[in-house]
Amino acid sequence: MSGTHRYYAGLDMGSASIKAAVLSGHRLIASEIVASGGKYSDTARKIMGGVLAKAGISEDRLDGMIITGLGAESAPFDAPQVSDISCHAMGCHCLFPSTRTVIDIGGQFTKVARITPQGRIADFLMSEKCATGSGRFLQVIARILQVKLEDIGPLSMTSKHPVEFSTNCAVFAESETVSRIAEGAKAADILAGVHHAMAAKVAMLLKRVKMEPDVVLTGGGGEDEGLALAIGDALSLKILVPDKPRLTAAFGAAYLAREQHFRSHENHSD
Amino acid sequence: MMTASEQVEKLYVERGKRARELRKKGKKIIGYFCCFVPDEIITAFDMVPYRIQGSQSEPIDQADAYIEPMACPFARSSFNLALKGRYDFLDGFVAPHSCDTIERMYHIWLHNKPSSFNHLINVPHMLGSGSTSFYRSELAYFIKSLEDWSGRKLDPDRLKDAVRLYNRRRALLRELYELRKTDPPQVSGTEITRVLVAGMGIPAEEHIALLERYMKEIKVRPVPKADKLPRIFIWGNEIDDIAFINLVEESGAQVVMDDLCTGTRFFWDDVPETKDPLDGIAARYLNIHCPRSNVPQMETREKDLGNRYGYIGQFVKDWGADGAIFYIVRYCDTCELEGPDLREYLNSMNIPVLMVEDDYSTSTIGQLRTRVQAFLEMLG
Repeated sequence: MSGTHRYYAGLDMGSASIKAAVLSGHRLIASEIVASGGKYSDTARKIMGGVLAKAGISEDRLDGMIITGLGAESAPFDAPQVSDISCHAMGCHCLFPSTRTVIDIGGQFTKVARITPQGRIADFLMSEKCATGSGRFLQVIARILQVKLEDIGPLSMTSKHPVEFSTNCAVFAESETVSRIAEGAKAADILAGVHHAMAAKVAMLLKRVKMEPDVVLTGGGGEDEGLALAIGDALSLKILVPDKPRLTAAFGAAYLAREQHFRSHENHSD
Repeated sequence: MMTASEQVEKLYVERGKRARELRKKGKKIIGYFCCFVPDEIITAFDMVPYRIQGSQSEPIDQADAYIEPMACPFARSSFNLALKGRYDFLDGFVAPHSCDTIERMYHIWLHNKPSSFNHLINVPHMLGSGSTSFYRSELAYFIKSLEDWSGRKLDPDRLKDAVRLYNRRRALLRELYELRKTDPPQVSGTEITRVLVAGMGIPAEEHIALLERYMKEIKVRPVPKADKLPRIFIWGNEIDDIAFINLVEESGAQVVMDDLCTGTRFFWDDVPETKDPLDGIAARYLNIHCPRSNVPQMETREKDLGNRYGYIGQFVKDWGADGAIFYIVRYCDTCELEGPDLREYLNSMNIPVLMVEDDYSTSTIGQLRTRVQAFLEMLG
């Protein structure tokens, strides 16, 4: 039967990791996440090779592909580009049709978008070139504390007395962290404090974009359970998080590729 | 002979070259900041007005030894060029008190890079008839100091001639902007930026001759099919480099209209030809739409927004804009604080707004790509 199936790919070339997703019809059949490394185009070629092998198809079987992410320009594939905000919007819409607001906490930026019931952007905002609102902030603090990224969430949730940061600047927060360690603050309390600071920043962006529920958290930030909780607390609502939050934009891109294919071939189906 | 487009490109790239040539022939070159300094006055003295620009493609590598890096990067970049000797061809330096940065920049510039003639023009912040007469006397004082420095009296008839000359240029620029109303526009936002910047360092009559030829060239170009791309109105401060507008257009949009210091703000309104030319000049120049100025408050919020931004609403309607981009050079308090009200006004007209803050550097343009793309996808 595989001969009649239609396949679509999404490639998300992020600053920290490159993600790929392959759909058969509207079903996700293969995905891959790899650290971006120093040469995006090499990593992109490798990851596409890997994900297509997982899906058990060759590149020419793809009926559509869309590339997104900060590094989309350097992708070694001839495919249309769509902004990652649109891809996150579509990805969240497919996973949670009730999504009206998307938060994407990535390696470089935090983006928030209000979306339509059809999964299109209604309005969006990005954190300016500022590390406090992005995953980078967590990475920096985790490095100082010598905590593995995947341990940040669970560890922070054991905190009883989160540290309060007096600054909203990641650079100053780094030296503040060092001072707090010197004063004897626990790693868990520092991480919980970082989550609070980030959540406050995100909540401000959400207010400006006129947030509506449901709110979905995607991107690498979504893998940090403690952060999701802190944002939920700041907004007094429950934040939805996909199973593989980092994959959302690649998934959304593949879905948009499918949509595009449908638009240009009216009589076709999956 | 070069085509007009080639000449525009040359003037755009080789900034200051023509002014240097003219100076060798004995002309005095008067450099100035912002849209508040009347070109007419300088021209009536038979001197060449030169709008000071920075450079978005050069790092600010000297100015930070004198001023803090958290000041307006446009002002810092301009001063940086001055420190590197690139404005040594200026015989005069004039700064209006447009914003606090430019006002302080006057003193710093004067102290570190004094010209032969230096003058600060006080510009009132609140608009109204009292302010206009105040500004008129400030301009009379500016004239007096040019007279003292040059040893020549200003001939009022020459000032009237200059008013007519610049109104002619304004009319041509408005005519050029008319060509942006079609789909697609007959002239792109990137091209417009080049033409405007090219004209900021040459005498008005040369810019006029160039514009006339340029427009002829544009009008005989083949007319492309309607492309239905989103049409963008752009608001902000100094865009004296094509980089950002080019990014917007490359991302699949047409930049069709603007309210920028380097765009309509400096040329749109004519100077009325009054019996005493200084009356018309003072009224026109004080009332340019710089967000640093305040108009008297109206009784309701709606009326107030209409009173402040009605002209923008008209631009957006007449040029058929689908969305607005606020492009703000970082640390421009006036623009950043004006942004929210203008956003509210435009949103009430169903015009979505994207606000970007940038470093006045072409190296940051790539980072803005995602934002612009997402905004265009939202409009499309």
